[in-house]
Amino acid sequence: MSIQDEETEDRSVVSYRSVDLVVSVLLFLASIILGWTNWQIGAGWAPDGPEAGYFPFYLCVLLGIASLIGIVKGVISRSDASFVGRDQFKRVLQVAIPSLAFVAGIQWLGIYVSSFLLIAGFMRFLGKSSILASLVTPVIFVVFMFYVFEKQFTVLLPKGPIERALLY
Amino acid sequence: MPKQAAALAGVAMMCLAGAANAAWEPTQPVEIVVPAGAGGATDQMARMLQSVIQKHNLMKQPTAVLLKGGASGGEGLMDMKASPGNANKFIIAQSSIYTLPFSTNLPFNWKDMTPVAIIAMDEFVLWVNSEAPYKTAKDFMTAAKAAGEQGFRMGGTGSKREDHIISAAVEKVGGTKFAYIPYKSGGEAATQLVGKHTEANVNNPSENVAVWRAGQVRALCIFDKEKSTYTTKVTADQSWADIPTCRSEGIDFDYTMLRGIFLPSGVTPDQVAYYQDLFKKITDTPEFKAYAESQALKAVFISGDDMTKFLTEDEALHKKLMGDAGFLAK
Amino acid sequence: MEALSSLIHGFDVLLTWQNMALMLFGIVLGIFVGVLPGLGGPNGVAILLPLTFSMDPTSAIVLLSCIYWGALFGGAITAILFNIPGEAWSVATTFDGYPMAQKGQAAEALTAAFTASFVGSFLAVVLITFLAPLVAGFAIRFGPPEFFAVYLLTFCSFVGLGREDKHKIVISLVIGFLLTAVGMDTVSGQLRMTFGSVELLRGFDFLVAVIGLFGVGEILLTMEESFAFRGKKAVISPTVVFRTWATLPKYWLTLLRSSAIGCWLGITPGGAIAASFMGYNIAKRVAKDKESFGQGRIDGVLAPETAAHAAGTSALLPMLALGIPGSGTAAVLLGGLMVWGLQPGPLLFVEQKDFVWGLIASMYLGNIVGLIVVLATVPLFASVLRVPFPTIAPMILVSCAVGAFAVQNAVFDIWLMLAFGVVGYVFKKLGYPLAPLTLALVLGDKAEDAFRQAMIGARGSMTVFFSNGLVGTITIIALLVLFMPLIGQAVAWVRGTRAPKIEPEAPPVSAPASEA
Repeated sequence: MSIQDEETEDRSVVSYRSVDLVVSVLLFLASIILGWTNWQIGAGWAPDGPEAGYFPFYLCVLLGIASLIGIVKGVISRSDASFVGRDQFKRVLQVAIPSLAFVAGIQWLGIYVSSFLLIAGFMRFLGKSSILASLVTPVIFVVFMFYVFEKQFTVLLPKGPIERALLY
Repeated sequence: MPKQAAALAGVAMMCLAGAANAAWEPTQPVEIVVPAGAGGATDQMARMLQSVIQKHNLMKQPTAVLLKGGASGGEGLMDMKASPGNANKFIIAQSSIYTLPFSTNLPFNWKDMTPVAIIAMDEFVLWVNSEAPYKTAKDFMTAAKAAGEQGFRMGGTGSKREDHIISAAVEKVGGTKFAYIPYKSGGEAATQLVGKHTEANVNNPSENVAVWRAGQVRALCIFDKEKSTYTTKVTADQSWADIPTCRSEGIDFDYTMLRGIFLPSGVTPDQVAYYQDLFKKITDTPEFKAYAESQALKAVFISGDDMTKFLTEDEALHKKLMGDAGFLAK
Repeated sequence: MEALSSLIHGFDVLLTWQNMALMLFGIVLGIFVGVLPGLGGPNGVAILLPLTFSMDPTSAIVLLSCIYWGALFGGAITAILFNIPGEAWSVATTFDGYPMAQKGQAAEALTAAFTASFVGSFLAVVLITFLAPLVAGFAIRFGPPEFFAVYLLTFCSFVGLGREDKHKIVISLVIGFLLTAVGMDTVSGQLRMTFGSVELLRGFDFLVAVIGLFGVGEILLTMEESFAFRGKKAVISPTVVFRTWATLPKYWLTLLRSSAIGCWLGITPGGAIAASFMGYNIAKRVAKDKESFGQGRIDGVLAPETAAHAAGTSALLPMLALGIPGSGTAAVLLGGLMVWGLQPGPLLFVEQKDFVWGLIASMYLGNIVGLIVVLATVPLFASVLRVPFPTIAPMILVSCAVGAFAVQNAVFDIWLMLAFGVVGYVFKKLGYPLAPLTLALVLGDKAEDAFRQAMIGARGSMTVFFSNGLVGTITIIALLVLFMPLIGQAVAWVRGTRAPKIEPEAPPVSAPASEA
């Protein structure tokens, strides 16, 4: 339903069929690797019921079969529908890349600084908000966040050097 | 200038005293790592410690409870191992510090942490449904033997852990066989016993006390060298002290479990001393004592070299017990 | 009548200014906690537990249980507005609640969810009041085989409903089962699929996966379309509450059925999640127009919410009467009881009358106060959708990250959340259904444990699932539900008429759960 929008002007980055095939192949590989590790820990039926690997192993078998069906279906498919258009993909990357930077930033800068940068960047560059608004809003949000989690609920969120310097 | 000298000496004295007082204190909110799930015995202990510290103002920094119960608490242990030198964090450990590495090859040893103190020992009791015909541990073992191949079902928390170890040891000394059913929590094991889905369990007192008071289960014997010292009546006619020891009832085995506090490795002696002092104070509060009694915890305070010695022996004991039961990972 | 006089006594205990103030405070705090990701339910109550140590037990439980009610109400808010279920039992609420919000009916969906919660909890409280001792005894009849049968029934009521490719439904379900198996296996004490990684030790937490799959995935999908939530044009006015109410009476059967499912599954411990899924699925099964489920139907919101809250409330009964927590939050409250020096269990009703009946009275009042508070704030919450997307999107992302972190205090989980977000995006575009995945993720390990525990107890004999009336009945109902479409076809075939529309037959999905 939500898959193939008739967007003729937006040139396709990758076809639906290719992505479907790639996912099916990846799932098939996963089923083999996971199936193997579960076989290792014992996938038999002991006198008192199934062993630890029994359920996961047969789930992997099921996954393997289902993903093979997916591969076959993908190979014989004649559809040339688009998975994502060029403009669409650009917009997705506009969120995906900052999100990635944000999570990486949590590890190095701490969650508060990283959140500030994410919100400020989004507002300024995607939302075209004024500089003042895109600085003040995230500051309020981050301070509120600190107050609620750290002070009121003593949930200690990951902090970086800047936050440590400011707090302790 | 004797006056001035005296004054100087006085100042020096004050400085020294000041230095001694301000030895070391937590510099950030202190994390209490709970290697167990929400609502369990360890979590309850953490919340209790938190409330005692708060009520008696024993620490300037606030405390935060961190639940790290993944992999039967293995997650919490590995978290401690991964934070060397961080003295703003301690763990409430129990025997999983040996059993987990033995049964799963988890790359962990209690020597990866700094022992602070053992603040209590937890007991184990052999429980049966109160409608069961056997009144003593002897009767129970006879019945279990008679059941033979279709042996009794024994409930417990998790697999290859304390409950399972005791169950296996009882099988060995009693020459019988149980079908051990591992549940997610002691509470579940208690309910299942009340519902007669198992014939027995070896829960901690705290896990079964509610159903014991309600007369739904019967305590047959306690897995300790001596009886409990708590003589206040818990049920209509029994106190913890009234439960006979299993050894006296012909089950030649005893087992208790440490409840101990550890810091990460690489902390300074000052920091260890701070926490030893803190827990000494905590265990002396009436709240802690009341808590210990309500859970029938054996009151102990072991720290320093005594604790290291205890841990070394306890680890060897677990290795032997688990080896006998076939629980050691290949 | 004894129950009634006890209840009146309970109201007597409760109706002090101090307790009423605590109640209001608790509700507001609870809604807040429910809306904040990663704090809802058990965590929220656990975090606030230390605040209550110095109170008297009745006030403390009033405060905490009101936080619980508030969190239950609040959980639906993010599920409907942002497709982020705050709690496991809000997942089914997203199926139709979020599409409603996208269609501009956020306020209707919120009103429906809150009202349904209220109806569910209220009926459950009535049940607790009058049947407490009787019903409590029922819970202990559930051993591993019975638990497994209940999970089987939940799964069976689920298969055969999807319109997606069969193999994709199977894959989605299997992935859920596999994810939940990562980490320590309760029954054998062995580690599974951790590949020696410390981070994988803790397994995949349900909330982390769901925040990623639904929340982050949704943001990516939304971005693809444009820089706006599709529900932006929602018309919000206070009268919407009354307009929605006017339509509710015709759904009385859905409400009643879901309440019954919820009460039943709540008393059998661990059932709130199963209840919400089952409530939804049964509503879908009996509906004439199955296709329109998942596209924003109001009874698609009513059914799971009613069931979940009936279950969430009745879950407190086994906790009080037996000391068995029926839910995560109940487990934390149980811990609280002990700290306050109360022994939960059958004697609580005898020894602590003030406490028990004060609590039950607070369930009545708390629900009413809660409903008024949340309904009054519906326009406020719905107006969140008017905030420009570039401002709200990063805030949602940050909240998702905090939520993913707070579940288990692990930065790794934030990475996982992001990965799940990408998976959610790709899967949704490829037409993989996410609902089977979440269902398996929530109930998969429970079902497996119950099955293996039953096997150990029965020494490997499969007949245990038919060994007594209770388990036998549930198992047979489950199998009937599973094969209903097939039976329907067979009957039609025998009559010589072709089935008007080929019902999706049961995919081999049931294999891991039922036959194995």
